[in-house]
Amino acid sequence: MKTTQLLLAGLSLFIAGQALALPDGRALYIQNCNACHQFQGAGGIGLPLNAAKFRDYSDDYLFKTIRNGRPGRIMPAFQEMSDAQVKAIVTFLRKRTDTKPRAYDPSALAGDPTHGRKLFEKHCQRCHGADGQGRGEGTGVTLSRKRAFLVMPPAIANPGFQAAASDRLIQQVIRVGRPQSGMPSFARLGLKDQDTADLVAWIRKLGKRVAKRPRIAPDEPPSHVVESPYDFDTTVANVKQALVGANFRIFPDRYLEQGLTDEFSVNQRQIGIRFCNFNKLYDMLKIEPRLGVVLPCRITIMERANGKVLLVVPNLKVVASWFNNDQLLALWKRMEDTFNDIIDEVTL
Amino acid sequence: MRSHAIAVVLLALALLSGPAHADKMLMTRVPMKADIAIEYLKSAIEEYGYAVAHVQMCDSGMKGFGLESDVYRVVFFGKIDEVRRIVAKHPGFAAYLPLKIAVVAERGETVMSAVNPRTFDAYYPKDREMKIQFGRWRNDILDIFDEVYRAAGGKVARRLPSNTP
Ligand code: HEC
Ligand code: HEC
Repeated sequence: MKTTQLLLAGLSLFIAGQALALPDGRALYIQNCNACHQFQGAGGIGLPLNAAKFRDYSDDYLFKTIRNGRPGRIMPAFQEMSDAQVKAIVTFLRKRTDTKPRAYDPSALAGDPTHGRKLFEKHCQRCHGADGQGRGEGTGVTLSRKRAFLVMPPAIANPGFQAAASDRLIQQVIRVGRPQSGMPSFARLGLKDQDTADLVAWIRKLGKRVAKRPRIAPDEPPSHVVESPYDFDTTVANVKQALVGANFRIFPDRYLEQGLTDEFSVNQRQIGIRFCNFNKLYDMLKIEPRLGVVLPCRITIMERANGKVLLVVPNLKVVASWFNNDQLLALWKRMEDTFNDIIDEVTL
Repeated sequence: MRSHAIAVVLLALALLSGPAHADKMLMTRVPMKADIAIEYLKSAIEEYGYAVAHVQMCDSGMKGFGLESDVYRVVFFGKIDEVRRIVAKHPGFAAYLPLKIAVVAERGETVMSAVNPRTFDAYYPKDREMKIQFGRWRNDILDIFDEVYRAAGGKVARRLPSNTP
């Protein structure tokens, strides 16, 4: 009983301490946002976070954007943060951009989606896509690749954006545009308030059309382990032959333990066959600059103590789910099929 | 009283242990050119007791396809006894060993990413040892990132609760 009470007292003190300590917005930004948005807000994998646009945003929009992220568009949902932490980041961003939040009437705009659709097809589709999911490959201003746009147009049908932005905030963005990023001011181009309200009505419709994201089955294992009917050396040779047949470039073999211990202690019956198709890889890197965390493709072949020879490959379904990047999923399917074909061919 | 106390403790643990969907990716950006950052990264990795197994260059092969980053490398690292112990028990995990960090140049800065090892927690629900291992790897990777950030002249704040689910 005593111990429980002590434990309780300790815990409540700990929790109170956590809640009372004022979160440091700058530190939180550096740890959670900087990698994608850059410290001065120039952008990277994420969009620029600069003063020009912050003048159009309400703090509510920023708060909800951080909380909900952009499902399927790389930006994670920061749901584990406390409200105070999210607010601290918003406060930090306000200070850094030297801007004040803009307040919006939260009521919905009355617009005609049919007319909005016509305007959207005429003015917006070429950048944001007919479905409002963004055109072109990748996001933000990622610099490591050739891009069709200065800044990749965001997915405005995305449920994260739709939930964060009020009608009038969207209308304001359309009015003033994002000239620094290539989106013109549509007020300047002659669209009236009713036109932009109609556009908002259509954008809301696009938001409702977004399909539910596929969820992977909870029992998918992180990798596939297949027993080879052949001995170790034959299996290695077969894998290489199959890869060459599928037009992959093969890198020199590496033992699994190579470089981790001296060359005499390395287990030579555990080998990684590494391969790559630069063309496909580049297509994927344009969409997902962080792909390197799972590169290069590798089939690991190992002889176990009981003499069994195993082929080990990552389960690409599971791997793909780590990126929160729906564009990647389409290309990924092809990779997955190739992997499966090779394993089938080798173990037949 | 007792059941009440247990409820409070359980609630507190639930609050402190964070959500099931913690970040799947660990990332950092350091204000430093990538060729230098990668050297700091390698020495930080070694400082934390890991061996750098090798560095894979992806940039040269991809230049011809339009990659504009002058540095795109993957650093492989691990501890031999951890690798041996885990592969003996879970051969399937060999697909993710050694550990890796991708290093990409962006303008004069460097972005580093790794899969959050705790992403694997869900796949070994009955193996406490693996859970502890994943947590330790995650903390080490974050500390290694901080180390490089500090080397670039950045001030590193104490990690906040949101980062220690
Ligand atoms: C030339 C390409 C282009 C055109 C045309 C264009 N946009 Fe954009 N739009 C962008 C880019 C790029 C951004 C992101 C800018 C930034 O964040 O710096 C953007 C941002 C937005 C945003 C904010 C979304 C967010 O996540 O912050 C909305 C809303 C939007 N556009 C709506 C429209 C509408 C409606 C039209 C047509 C009337 C339109 N855009 C036309 C390129 C374009
Ligand atoms: C892994 C990369 C990544 C991280 C980490 C990230 N973001 Fe984003 N963020 C993005 C991407 C990508 C978009 C644009 C989505 C799109 O193109 O549809 C975005 C969009 C945004 C927007 C909307 C910008 C606009 O003009 O409407 C804000 C605001 C934002 N992020 C803030 C943050 C903050 C604050 C954090 C840290 C708590 C953060 N982000 C962390 C990638 C990231």
